[in-house]
Amino acid sequence: MSENKFETDDGRTHIKSYLMKESLVNRQTIAKTASQDEFAILPHVVMVSVGGQSIFDRGKSAIQPLVDEIAKAKQSQIPMVVGVGGGTRTRHTVSIALDLGIPLGGVAQLVGAMEEANAVFLNALLAKHGSIVMQREHFWELPLYLKGGMLPIIISVPPFHFWEPPPEEGIVPSHGSDFGLFAHAEVLGMKKVIFIKDEDGLYTADPKKHSNAEFIPHIYLDELLDQFPEECILDHQLFHTWKTSRHVEQVQIVNGLKPGMFTAALQGEPVGTIIERRPA
Amino acid sequence: MSRLKISNVLGESSLTGPVFSDDYKPLALMPSTKVLKIGGQSIMDRGKAAVFPILKDIVVLKEKHNLLLGCGGGTRARHIYTIASDLELPTGILAHLGGYVPRQNARMLQMLLADHGGIFILYDDFEKLPLYFKLGCIPIMTGMPPFGYWEKPTENGRIPQNRTDAGVFLTAEALGCKRAYFVKDENGLYTDDPKKNKNTKHIPRISAQELIQMDLPDLIVERVVLDHMVRAKFCHEIQIINGLDPLMLTRALDGEDVGTIIYKG
Repeated sequence: MSENKFETDDGRTHIKSYLMKESLVNRQTIAKTASQDEFAILPHVVMVSVGGQSIFDRGKSAIQPLVDEIAKAKQSQIPMVVGVGGGTRTRHTVSIALDLGIPLGGVAQLVGAMEEANAVFLNALLAKHGSIVMQREHFWELPLYLKGGMLPIIISVPPFHFWEPPPEEGIVPSHGSDFGLFAHAEVLGMKKVIFIKDEDGLYTADPKKHSNAEFIPHIYLDELLDQFPEECILDHQLFHTWKTSRHVEQVQIVNGLKPGMFTAALQGEPVGTIIERRPA
Repeated sequence: MSRLKISNVLGESSLTGPVFSDDYKPLALMPSTKVLKIGGQSIMDRGKAAVFPILKDIVVLKEKHNLLLGCGGGTRARHIYTIASDLELPTGILAHLGGYVPRQNARMLQMLLADHGGIFILYDDFEKLPLYFKLGCIPIMTGMPPFGYWEKPTENGRIPQNRTDAGVFLTAEALGCKRAYFVKDENGLYTDDPKKNKNTKHIPRISAQELIQMDLPDLIVERVVLDHMVRAKFCHEIQIINGLDPLMLTRALDGEDVGTIIYKG
């Protein structure tokens, strides 16, 4: 790759590289870019997701104790990045938009606003402890915030907007806040994502609707995908993406209505549900 | 009371899985728009020899159609992917980095078309398209979708799956267009790469499902475009044409099935 001469023999001007002139659709070509390892950009940071419907929509009684816990956990020196879901206003946005016949990309364009509003709410409560809302354009300021001892709050929904790919099934965008935070953690090489919800973790069915749902304290990703619950506490898309991911090793779901659960998870204790990618 | 049905479904839904509705009739936002992809390696990297004749056609065609151009990347994107893969960086980083090149190409086309109403637009300008068309402009944007760092990791490699073909396809889908047009340097789809295999056969028309089943070693469009098309509500055809053949673009926009049509079966 040291020779920086252009090649022009076929009417196109190429820069020399092993992908020069190649079709990037060809599987053999794509395989040339594979490798055993992948560089981890911020491996020691933990991604934390605060539920929208499960926590935020409950108001002060659920939010304030959790905010206090997050503020205290911040002193533990474990670097973390926080994101928030959109909750019931996102559901309302989608239901009105669908009724109006707004197409998929238009629905995706609309929804991120509610997640962003919740991020601003959370920031107002945590600002005195050093939180900051991180806009997407400030992606690379993350190390600055973390080095400065701040608590970055990111926008959870991925910026797919009008370009939301049509879902495999159904009519609503499949790339929501759970996926967005997971993808954010993965691209930065983080190992762990904690989801703070209003249930103890993962169940065989939605425990709010089925009293006989069984609690799952630990499960491997492939086992979960084999027996995927009809209604799951996290986006299906997250697990689908996890299959080809290289960094995130563990997703932990804890009950944010029970004091101490989040802190225990942050410190590595096996509370709530732990989902692990099976060791290679 | 079908409306209430949707509201009720969502009100109780975790929204973590699919939502279904029989009475959802999505609106096609601007279905008469002709969304064109201008190839990176195939067109832009050839310089004026390939670009100027196409722009000449575009200036004429713009009088008849609302054109939206999306640009490909090309050899500089390949160079970025090579270096980034060598450094073992994640797919999402490659997707972001790869985005710079088509944006440069879009800016170049804007400058060349400025006198004819060419304007460079960002993702956030998408909602202003009606204004641009009303003013007789030719909006030009990157072909890359805005996924960037949020692009899913690629299996057995790290080149992002959704690149400029996918972005242009999703642009057409978002606008509710029936067909998207891809201007490349081949007459369309072949059974193998015609630049490398002389015995390859041209395929004038084929369904996306058939193509997925054929599982060809190489394809003229990103594979993920086929997956998107199979699930798409509006964009059910793509037409791949040879931009080096001066008549092709005009004939395609006049509704002739030149080149290759890949359709949702």
